[in-house]
Amino acid sequence: MPVPWEALIPFGLLTTMFAAAGTLFNTSQRLQNQGKPVRYGLDAWENMMMDRDKRLTGHLRGQRSDPIAPEEFATNSAWYTERTG
Amino acid sequence: MSVYHDPSKADKPYTDPTPLPANIPKVQEIGATSAPLKSAAFFLGAYCKDYNEDFMLCKAESRDPGHCLKEGRRVTRCATELITKLRENCLKEFESHWACLENNNQEYYMCRKPERTLNKCVFEKLGLTKTIPGSAAGKPQIHEVEKPIFKAVQK
Repeated sequence: MPVPWEALIPFGLLTTMFAAAGTLFNTSQRLQNQGKPVRYGLDAWENMMMDRDKRLTGHLRGQRSDPIAPEEFATNSAWYTERTG
Repeated sequence: MSVYHDPSKADKPYTDPTPLPANIPKVQEIGATSAPLKSAAFFLGAYCKDYNEDFMLCKAESRDPGHCLKEGRRVTRCATELITKLRENCLKEFESHWACLENNNQEYYMCRKPERTLNKCVFEKLGLTKTIPGSAAGKPQIHEVEKPIFKAVQK
């Protein structure tokens, strides 16, 4: 009795599609995070630190370990807004 | 109504419309981002303990931002000094530890191996040890436990 291999095609398709979707999602997340795994479980402190990283390096996940900040750091905080009204 | 102009998209360099008064001394802010700071956190605690405690006690008196500027400047200068020393003496171990932290959601328990090399280097060159305040007195600290329960999957 030959094996009904045509019936296994949908299973193969499902597995492939799951794998493809998962890989695509992971790749897109990593591309948005400079090749690093995405940060999870972020609280207010972590979000504040990531915003500070963005002010220092230009990207939320950018890192640098220089002891002195660049001069733009003194004035690139979001506190500076302009009133037009 | 107010409009927010994103400073990073401006074409002219930004000049501060409300600078601090001239009698307040200037201090250069720390340029390290979150992962190197997290890596150096316990050494900052050990090296700058006095200045940190002064600042915390001062803040406990009053939350007014102008009240603790002097203590804050001292904390910043001490931290900048320590980061400079860390980079001079233990640059490779430091960089590898915070790179590992960045790849692991900045969790300490995932990066014990680079942490051990960093702790050893810092102890030899700078004489600082990592002690976790509030850990139980008799038992080994969590970063010194040989077989931890929460650990990285690969050895």
